[in-house]
Amino acid sequence: MDSSQIDVALSVSKLNKSYGDFKVIRDLELQVTRGSIHGLVGLNGSGKTTTLECILGLKEFNSGNVSVLGYSPADLHRASGKLVAIFDTSSLPPNVSLRHCLQHASLLCENKVRTPQEVEAMLGLEAFSKFKIKHLSLGNKRRASIAHALLGQPEIILLDEPFNGLDAGGVDDVLSLITRLNQEEGTSFLLSSHQLPYLEQICSHIAVLHKGAIALSDSVPNLLAGNIETVLIRSEDRASLLNALKIIDEVQYLKTDEEGYHHISMANKSSSELNQQLTARNIEVSELILQRASLASMFRAITSEGSE
Amino acid sequence: MKDYLLTLFLALRSEFFISIRSFSSKLILLAPSALILLRYCLVKLSESGEQIRDSLSGSPSFEDAIASNAWGYYVDGLGTGITMLGLLLVGMAAYSFSYERDTGSLRHLVIRRFSRTQLIVAKLLHLHILALFSFIFLMLTAYIVSGVFWEFAAVAEDGFELISEQEIRQEIFLGLQLALIPIPAAIAFGLFISVSSISATQAVTTALGISIAIDVFKSMLGDYALYIYASFLPSLLDQSYLQDVSRLVRGYSDVLIDERAQQLNMLVPIPSMLIFLVAALFLVRKRSL
Repeated sequence: MDSSQIDVALSVSKLNKSYGDFKVIRDLELQVTRGSIHGLVGLNGSGKTTTLECILGLKEFNSGNVSVLGYSPADLHRASGKLVAIFDTSSLPPNVSLRHCLQHASLLCENKVRTPQEVEAMLGLEAFSKFKIKHLSLGNKRRASIAHALLGQPEIILLDEPFNGLDAGGVDDVLSLITRLNQEEGTSFLLSSHQLPYLEQICSHIAVLHKGAIALSDSVPNLLAGNIETVLIRSEDRASLLNALKIIDEVQYLKTDEEGYHHISMANKSSSELNQQLTARNIEVSELILQRASLASMFRAITSEGSE
Repeated sequence: MKDYLLTLFLALRSEFFISIRSFSSKLILLAPSALILLRYCLVKLSESGEQIRDSLSGSPSFEDAIASNAWGYYVDGLGTGITMLGLLLVGMAAYSFSYERDTGSLRHLVIRRFSRTQLIVAKLLHLHILALFSFIFLMLTAYIVSGVFWEFAAVAEDGFELISEQEIRQEIFLGLQLALIPIPAAIAFGLFISVSSISATQAVTTALGISIAIDVFKSMLGDYALYIYASFLPSLLDQSYLQDVSRLVRGYSDVLIDERAQQLNMLVPIPSMLIFLVAALFLVRKRSL
């Protein structure tokens, strides 16, 4: 095993899955490095849940290789709890109390680091410990699922739609818990969600899944850096400005909007450099607004490709 | 191997952890005993009513000393209890895997700790242990209650002992042995249906439906019925040897002991269980969870 493999917690290559003639996943490639928070984002029906189910060995796939912590999907139980998953439904025994459910999970745990009482306190579930799982609210079921996963010390946690059913406070709690576990215990995460704004807040890496294939995947800084920035400039001396823009390298004039802003795209140039070059040509810039490409705009661009 | 067995033992503990907190396990443990207790009470009430009616009308009470031997009631109770236990076990086995798949709780088990094979074997063992406890409870209830309501005695007619208590016990032992041998096959059949069905509802209805259909139509199968494990389980249309024992301990002399049927009773259920188990283990590896 070389060093690059050691750093990879989860690796998927050339994964294909079909239901009859319908290809749900096509040549999917995905890697989650240890210690990262990897977001898998896609529209409803893009294949996120199927991908997770194939990774977890819950569904057979047609072809491809999947390895999680060095184990194949069929052998994940050998990892003895180093991998845990939290599903979009609670997937907990509905007729037992929360405390008993957590005690049962604790029984399965080879390396227990927290007691059921402690995880209940972590997730704010102390008041519900005697409630049967089926009587919990949607949000508390989601919290219970997370509590269920945290009795041991997993190296990687896979979450499918972790924010479903949570109120704003609940989402913040989950986001801060994920960040804390990642920073303090080095836990890797693969979060599958269609809610990019939440993923954007915590993920170190994002992969966009569209129509069963990874359309884009990289670290968040790289994704943002690789995109051309748009600058909005306003100047009283419009003619000189446009002439100057023709001369300055790596700058392209796009359009002028109704409010008089000139839209310029830039590659490998900062806005301050542009300002300096314009000032050097005695062009007075009254306003300069940097519009950085957002993950949301990239996501929209990718997911709208097929629908156009 | 040692690791495999330790994990299997853990899977069994996990099964029991949930099971002792579930209604269905309590039902299996208590329902057969509760049913025969109710049956004994009704029979005793009915007999007492007849005795009172006869004494009030002045007509001599028709009480056949042989027919009211507690051994007869004891065997009847066991037959009724095992019939119910068999059906409950088939239903519970069909429910066990499919219900956990429906709720998704099976997912955590296969991801975190157990192989699919271990899960099936653990469920099989768990249901056998439940069946064992339920049967012990059933035997005790039947013995105590029939002993309280009636009297255990040898089968005698005109002062002549036809069948000694020792012989009665031997026949009951053989009858129970033959009646219990198909239970593992019934459990394995339920598990096979559980693994192959798409939902718990479908699994339970299919397993119970097939079991009852075999019971109803077995007389139409003729000799072929002897190659089906379910023919030897005490059932609604009982053709098990336990039914014969019930008549035997009541002094009926027309009991026909079919040697071939007894041999097949011994031989058919265990291979049937193995076939269902292997099929379930094969299928479970392919199932989406």
